[in-house]
Amino acid sequence: MKIAVCIKQVPATTEVKFDPETNTLVREGVDSQINPFDLYALEEAVRTKERLQADGEESSVTVVCMGPPQAQDALREAVALGADETILLSDRAFGGADTWATSYTLGLGLKKIEPDIVFCGMQAIDGDTGQVGPGIATHIDYAQATYVAKIESLDKKKITVKRLVENGYEVCSVKLPIVITVVKEINEPRTPSLRGKMNAKKAQITTWGAADLEAPVEKLGLSGSPTQVAKVFSPPHREGGEKSEGEPDELAEKLFGLLKELEIV
Amino acid sequence: MAEGLIVPFCAEHADYLTDESRCVGAAGTISFPKTGAEVAEVLSKVRGGVTVQGARTGIVAGAVPSGGHVLNLRGMNGIGPVRVDSSTGKAWITVQPGALLLDICKAVEPEGFFFPPDPTESSASIGGMAATNASGARSYLYGPAREWISALSVVLADGDVLPIRRGETFADGRKFSLTTQKGRVIEGILPGYGIPGVKSAAGYYAADGMDIIDLFIGMEGTLGVITELELRLAKKPALAGGITIFLPSEEAAICLVGMARDSSIKPAAVEYFNPSALNLLRCIKARNPSFAGVPELPARFNTAIYLEFHKENEDELDECIMFVSDALAKLGVSDDDTWFATGSKEMERAKAFRHAVPEAVNLLVAERKKSCPSLTKLGTDMSVPDSCLEAVMAMYNTGLLESGLESVIFGHIGNNHLHVNILPACMEDYKRGRELYMLWAERVVEMGGSVSAEHGIGKIKTAFLQLMYGREGVGEMLAVKRLLDPDMRLNPGTLFER
Repeated sequence: MKIAVCIKQVPATTEVKFDPETNTLVREGVDSQINPFDLYALEEAVRTKERLQADGEESSVTVVCMGPPQAQDALREAVALGADETILLSDRAFGGADTWATSYTLGLGLKKIEPDIVFCGMQAIDGDTGQVGPGIATHIDYAQATYVAKIESLDKKKITVKRLVENGYEVCSVKLPIVITVVKEINEPRTPSLRGKMNAKKAQITTWGAADLEAPVEKLGLSGSPTQVAKVFSPPHREGGEKSEGEPDELAEKLFGLLKELEIV
Repeated sequence: MAEGLIVPFCAEHADYLTDESRCVGAAGTISFPKTGAEVAEVLSKVRGGVTVQGARTGIVAGAVPSGGHVLNLRGMNGIGPVRVDSSTGKAWITVQPGALLLDICKAVEPEGFFFPPDPTESSASIGGMAATNASGARSYLYGPAREWISALSVVLADGDVLPIRRGETFADGRKFSLTTQKGRVIEGILPGYGIPGVKSAAGYYAADGMDIIDLFIGMEGTLGVITELELRLAKKPALAGGITIFLPSEEAAICLVGMARDSSIKPAAVEYFNPSALNLLRCIKARNPSFAGVPELPARFNTAIYLEFHKENEDELDECIMFVSDALAKLGVSDDDTWFATGSKEMERAKAFRHAVPEAVNLLVAERKKSCPSLTKLGTDMSVPDSCLEAVMAMYNTGLLESGLESVIFGHIGNNHLHVNILPACMEDYKRGRELYMLWAERVVEMGGSVSAEHGIGKIKTAFLQLMYGREGVGEMLAVKRLLDPDMRLNPGTLFER
């Protein structure tokens, strides 16, 4: 069974800066990391592969990442964590992509690999959209299961997953091939081993550009993005509320009065 | 001079009656001086005993007052600039004793340096670290705090000041002579005992012709109050890596330690976790969400050795990796049963894993204290020569097996310095644990080891000091103390029983 994982390299900081001209993240001089949600996707992919191999079935994990050349670091880290193959989708033509163009491009790369399952994190911590996983499924015409908290069972034709939904969980069986986006509770990502790190050091990273994907340029990057970020700003700090101190009885009475005044009770 | 420097002890000061030993003392007055001059003023004004406190992270009750005055140095937390000798590249920093280790680390890191001693508690004060000759995991390569302190300013019990710079004042045999800032000459004789050739923080350092600064490092506040320190800094290594190796047995772990010692890889730290330490982590991870960050520990992980490397280039680090790979092959262990941390984030995670064991122990004991308030953990801190590692491990394991006491063993196996934490469930366990501890201490001394490798003696291990140096040795220490503190005012109850 062929398994693929899509990962994104994101800034390893919470103090992000934006370019006021382009409204995009300033990445220069900022340490990078694999998007934390993608680590859960990668771990689930590697665990799935290990389970299948333990049952005597052939399986491999290919990790795909779209980004600048330095995203190779993220792919090496993925090898340290158990990935077998890595593909970097890197081309100036991919720059400035929104979620539509990103999922389109990743989809083109995945089509060449023809995986049975694609794992993605539920969202990236820099954009927080949660759109790329479902976008990929749509572009490559795969089934999709989002916010997956557990894989209940898997055979050659279908997978049964437990999805985290607003009021609890939902268990559904879906035919392969499929794109799955995962939530944190699905597993606990492993710590890289000595063997993993050594493999990462030696790993050959395959790079595919626009020509390799035979992609129409107008559907890539900024020109292929139907949306554009108009403005990025920090929301104003919320004013502190009213604070009361005193004995519990007095405070309870005061609170009751306030709630009444606001016609809440 | 500051108004109201010495104030009566009141309810709001309750925290200053205790430290991480959880012992609770008593005090009449307290002060928070800001300068060496204020320390001298306090010492000349108050009568009776004075207990010196840093950040109160010690676990042998050194900072727990036994009546009298509490001299708390938390306000003396100044950190000077890093000074670099451009011709040699060597660097130093001058700090006040209340400066916290973590703040010093933060201050020197951007300049490309670090301060190697790394006790578990990074909120330790540097004055406390000097007073106890603190060390930590990295002391395997870098040695204890003593080796990184180049000058001290010490205020004596009478308020006079003793400036001491390493390399300037040496003992003549065991005779020493000190000149205070006021020009007073103090002449005395160092204790005649031999310091064991192992990691040790037990009692006064004494050796023929020694640098006299070493008498004041590890004196646990009994000879004077350290009011300023000059620290030597190490160049930050270009590359750091930490490999946690999971092994099938304790024998394999000891074997790996021997291989590491005999090799040319020079690790910065060689740490150990026994099977019950790993089991404790498995249990606490399952029921306490604050331990969720502890990675999963498969059942086949029986014991663990952590090796840390500080190297200047990839070739040097590769040599260490090759050593580990070869060692694992010889031991028949898969290189998959390892965690390899590189980069600051992964190194922090590896450190958190090591520190999770003592944290889990403290939580467990705190839980048990609810039903039995007198309970405390019994934590050993003893070191032995390299040749005795197997013997001391066998001694601990046999004693624990025969007594049936619950325990974990972890710590600095590279220095043959293991922390055996006995986890008593009731006071009867505690009593049996203490007896076992005393028996072990006797055997460790016979092996040529130290009863305290890094925690110090404080108020709760004074009996062990006598065991190590005998009545005569402790008497000689006491003679030095009386010379510098004739009224026995400083840190009463520490090192010497009252």
